[in-house]
Amino acid sequence: MRSPSVLAALVTAALVAGARAQVQLPGDGVLPEAHMPKVTPVQVQNPFKPFDQVKYQQAARALGATELQVKTFAEEAEEIGAARAGDDLLRKVFPKFDEAVLAAEDGEPKAALLLAKVLVDAESPVLQAHARYHLARVFLDSDDPERAIEVLNEYLTHNLNASPLDGEAAYFYAQSLAEVPMLDAAIPRFRAFLAWFPDASERLRSAAHQRILELERQRESRLHMLADGMKKTTRDLRKQKTDKPVQLDQETYIEELDTLIEMFEEMENQSSGAPSGNGPSSNPAANSALPEGDGSAGELKKRPSLADRWGPMRDSERKKIMADVQNTMPPQYRKMLEEYYKKLGKADRK
Amino acid sequence: MLKFLQERVNKKTKQVEALGAEDGAKQQDYDQVSKKQARVKELMRRLAEKLGKEDEGEGDN
Repeated sequence: MRSPSVLAALVTAALVAGARAQVQLPGDGVLPEAHMPKVTPVQVQNPFKPFDQVKYQQAARALGATELQVKTFAEEAEEIGAARAGDDLLRKVFPKFDEAVLAAEDGEPKAALLLAKVLVDAESPVLQAHARYHLARVFLDSDDPERAIEVLNEYLTHNLNASPLDGEAAYFYAQSLAEVPMLDAAIPRFRAFLAWFPDASERLRSAAHQRILELERQRESRLHMLADGMKKTTRDLRKQKTDKPVQLDQETYIEELDTLIEMFEEMENQSSGAPSGNGPSSNPAANSALPEGDGSAGELKKRPSLADRWGPMRDSERKKIMADVQNTMPPQYRKMLEEYYKKLGKADRK
Repeated sequence: MLKFLQERVNKKTKQVEALGAEDGAKQQDYDQVSKKQARVKELMRRLAEKLGKEDEGEGDN
C-alpha cells in the first residue's frame, strides 16, 4: 500500500517544483451512485405550454381572489413578471401559504413543514404548484437537492402548466441535479430551460448560461468531480445513510485517489530533472509552430509531448476518447481526430 | 494525506453502520462522520482549485 502522504507530497512537488499538475486529467472520474434520486426523463418535446394568464386568473377567482387582487396581479405581472406576481396573488388569497413563504424567506426551519401542510391541504393544482415550488426551494437551500428533486418530480407530474412558476421549476430542477451532483442530467436540463423559456427572467437565464459553463468545466475535472461526490456522501451520512451503497461510493473515492496518485507520480517522473516551470499543458496549441512575434521574452521550455501523456493512459481511457470521437464528432472532424489519435499512438510506441 | 483521511472516514462509516444495526447510533454519530467526510471534501476542493489556478496560470503563459 502506498504511503498516505504520497498524494500530498506529489501535489506539493507539482506546485513547488513546477510539475504543473493538470486539473484536466484524462479519464472519466468518479461520481457517487448511492441513493440517487429518481429523475424525470428530459422530454424531447417541450412539455410546457405558454403561461395562460386568463385561465390562471379564473382559477384564482375560483380560489377566492377578489377582483381587486386579480387586477393587481395583472398589473404586477407586467412590471415584475407573472411568476412573482402570481405568487403574491396566492399569498394574499391564502394566509397560511403567505405565512409559510415568509418563513421560507426568513430561513426558518418550520418553513418546510408549513409548506408541506399547505400542500397536503391544497386541492387546487395552482396552489399545489406554488407550494411545491417553494418547498423544493427550501430543500435546495438546505443543501438537500435530492429531496428538492422529489418535490419537483411531483410538480412536473401533477402541476405542469398550472401556474406561472413552470420556468422557475424547470431551472431549479436542473440546479438540484447539478447540486447532487448529476452533471450529465443537469446540463441538458439547463439547456432545455433556456430553449423552452425564452421569456424567463434575465437573472435566471444568465445563471443558466453560467451554470452550463461551470458544469462542463467541472465535468472535465476529475478532482472537482471527486470533491462533488464527497459532498453528496457528506449529505448521505448526515441523513443516516451509512449502508453498503454509501460505503461503496467511499471505496471508489479511495480507488480514484489511487489512480490520481499514479497519474501525479507519472507526471512527476516525466518532469524530474527538468527545469522549474516545465510541464504539460491542458491547453495545447493546435500545432507545434512557435507563435509569431518577439521571441526574446522568456525562456524556451521543453514540454512533454501529447504522446507522452497518451501513452501512460489506461486502454479503457483511450478507448473512451476514441469512442467519443467516433460517436460525437461530425464527419469532417471525426476523421481528423481519429488520425490525430492514431498518430499519437504510433508516436508512443517509438 | 487525503487518501489516509478518506480511509479513516470509510472506517468510521462502517463503525456507525454497525452501531446503527444494533440501534446504538445517534444522530450525533452520523453528524460526526458526516463532518469528517465534509473536511475531506473541502481539502479535495481546495486542492482542485489550487491546481486549477496553477493550470490557468500556465495557460496564460
